[in-house]
Amino acid sequence: MELFERKIMAVDDHRGIRKMIDAILRENGYTKIISVGNAREALGLFEREQPDMVILDIMLPGEDGFSLFGKIRERSDVPILFLSAKDEDADRLYGLGLGADDYMTKPFLPEELALRINVILKRTYHVPELQKEREKSFFLGEREILPERAVVRYQEKEVPLTAKELMLLTKLNENRGRIVTFDALCAAVWGDSYYGYENTLMVHIRHLREKLEEDPSHPRWILTARGLGYRLVKE
Amino acid sequence: MKSLFRIIRRYSLMAGLIILIILVSNGIVLTAIGYYTAGQEGADKYYGISQRLMEQIGEGFQAGAEGYTLDKKGMELLESSEFVWAMALDQEGAAVWKWRLPEEIPEQYSVQDVAAFSKWYLADYPVKVLIKDELLLVFGCSPDMIARHNLVVSSVLMAHALDYFKIFVLVNLLVIVLFILWFGYRFYHSMKPVAQGIEDLAAEREVRLKEKGPAGDLAGKLNEASELLLAQRRVIAKRDMARTEWIAGVSHDIRTPLSMIVGHSDRLSKDKSLSEKNRMLAENIRRQSLIIRRLIADLNLTSKLAYQAQPLKKNRLCPAALARSCVADFYNKGLEGKQGAEYEFEIVMKEEMEQVCTFADEGLLARAVRNLIGNSIRHNPEGCRITVTLTEQEGSIRFLVEDTGPGIPESVVQNMENADSDIHIMGLRLTEQIAKAHGGGLEFVQRENGGYDAGIYIQTNGHDTVQNHENMI
Repeated sequence: MELFERKIMAVDDHRGIRKMIDAILRENGYTKIISVGNAREALGLFEREQPDMVILDIMLPGEDGFSLFGKIRERSDVPILFLSAKDEDADRLYGLGLGADDYMTKPFLPEELALRINVILKRTYHVPELQKEREKSFFLGEREILPERAVVRYQEKEVPLTAKELMLLTKLNENRGRIVTFDALCAAVWGDSYYGYENTLMVHIRHLREKLEEDPSHPRWILTARGLGYRLVKE
Repeated sequence: MKSLFRIIRRYSLMAGLIILIILVSNGIVLTAIGYYTAGQEGADKYYGISQRLMEQIGEGFQAGAEGYTLDKKGMELLESSEFVWAMALDQEGAAVWKWRLPEEIPEQYSVQDVAAFSKWYLADYPVKVLIKDELLLVFGCSPDMIARHNLVVSSVLMAHALDYFKIFVLVNLLVIVLFILWFGYRFYHSMKPVAQGIEDLAAEREVRLKEKGPAGDLAGKLNEASELLLAQRRVIAKRDMARTEWIAGVSHDIRTPLSMIVGHSDRLSKDKSLSEKNRMLAENIRRQSLIIRRLIADLNLTSKLAYQAQPLKKNRLCPAALARSCVADFYNKGLEGKQGAEYEFEIVMKEEMEQVCTFADEGLLARAVRNLIGNSIRHNPEGCRITVTLTEQEGSIRFLVEDTGPGIPESVVQNMENADSDIHIMGLRLTEQIAKAHGGGLEFVQRENGGYDAGIYIQTNGHDTVQNHENMI
């Protein structure tokens, strides 16, 4: 089954919000969307429709979202995302602690909701695809990077990448177009106790540039954000 | 408890001073009395019965054929004296001369009689005697004029009189000092719980003292004060909690309709079927509604921080990494909608700052730093250069955010000092609260042009330095 064919159920007592979620998901390619306004009806609908994912409000008339979460969990392991106006850390932690896949607070950006739902559905039902996407090759100009083989292909030649170089490049590529701080890069490669690795990081970046750039001393792809970190330029 | 020690010390010193004053004043009074009664002047004052007078009178005795007579001068002296009677005894004990001798006074005396009255009384008259040639002159004083006291002192006592006097004074002093210490201790002992109670009261702890002993009344009053304070604190806490909950409730209720505004305006701003102008309008609504979202979140957090309803989640963090992450956030997403304006960031810090780590609530601290940077961006729409300076000194870490714009106006800095300020500086107030929650505060640094830059400092309790690692490739 394709990602966008997944059935999503939204439970929210506010009709306007239900309609908006419906519209947002349809605009983002989903077609099977069902929604309901209270916990009692939600459980019946859940059993009848067997959705692939549930978006759950917490403040519901009668039975609250946390309690409904428990009842759904007794019946199924479908991913559940809490979408609530409750922004307390305690509520967020409680919701995630119950085993929810995500917790979003209102007001939310439509795009963010769609992206999070995409990620949850991929993680739950499309692991190989997700894995594939992660290992999908990408281009820096004419150079193709093949993460699954840890090589850079350019003009029929292949240059190998070391494990550390690949980790750095993957981290930069995951945040392509954005600055990734030294700290985040070092933590990605060496874990939390990364202090003292800045110079080593610079050495790895230099090696990466030698393998990826036309002119390593005037890089086009891996740019330095002075005093902050590095950024992998978007095409 | 220090203050109680001070009180006791002062009390003891005061007692010592009082003893000294009493001793000195006693000395002065005794000396004066002695001078007036026993000295030359004293003698003159009591000339009426003095030894000198008796000797002058004794000079006037003459032995004649008719027995002994007193000459005129001697008689005048005697009559002007304070003596009420007088007689002269010969060696046989017979009164050979008499002057105003009362009837009850015998005229014949044995050796025992003489021995008895010479140091004591004669028929209730205090008498003074003087040996003149073969005569014993006896002068009688009025019974209500002088008192006699027969003092017999051993020669050993007289020889060591000074030493005994010293011992006497020393023992006295010792007893007095012991009493002072004893009373001081008693005073301290009875006041100790009261002092502890006052300290507890000041530290907002509950006070429950035993209402016994000399300080029982005080203890009772302290207990009452404590109960009153506790009750007031409960009322205030309840009111604060109600206010915090009310704000949390309102902000919660606003979130759902705001979701609709954010969601729909976002969708409209991307709706290609709308005209460019209408999409821009929708984008404007979206941006403003996101500002409302931020304000609601700030309001909620600020009320929780103000009434201690927000527990800090302190974790180990490196301020240098936090500053980098905040600045990178702005590069990555914080400059949305700021096209056309150029912002340049710089982080200034010493090399050692990289190694400094502390315990702090990372989310809140990042919010505070981002607020400061965000202010620089918001108030410089044409772009500016923003410098974040990170320093560590005297157990605190400082984040100073400077920009090349006009700086924070004086009115805002003044406004920060007032409790009631408008919502425009809620962000700054929240920043200050976050810093205060970390044992620090907000500070303004004045520029030469009069504007201000803002910074925060936090206490580095739990501060440590990251271990150096071997570089590994």
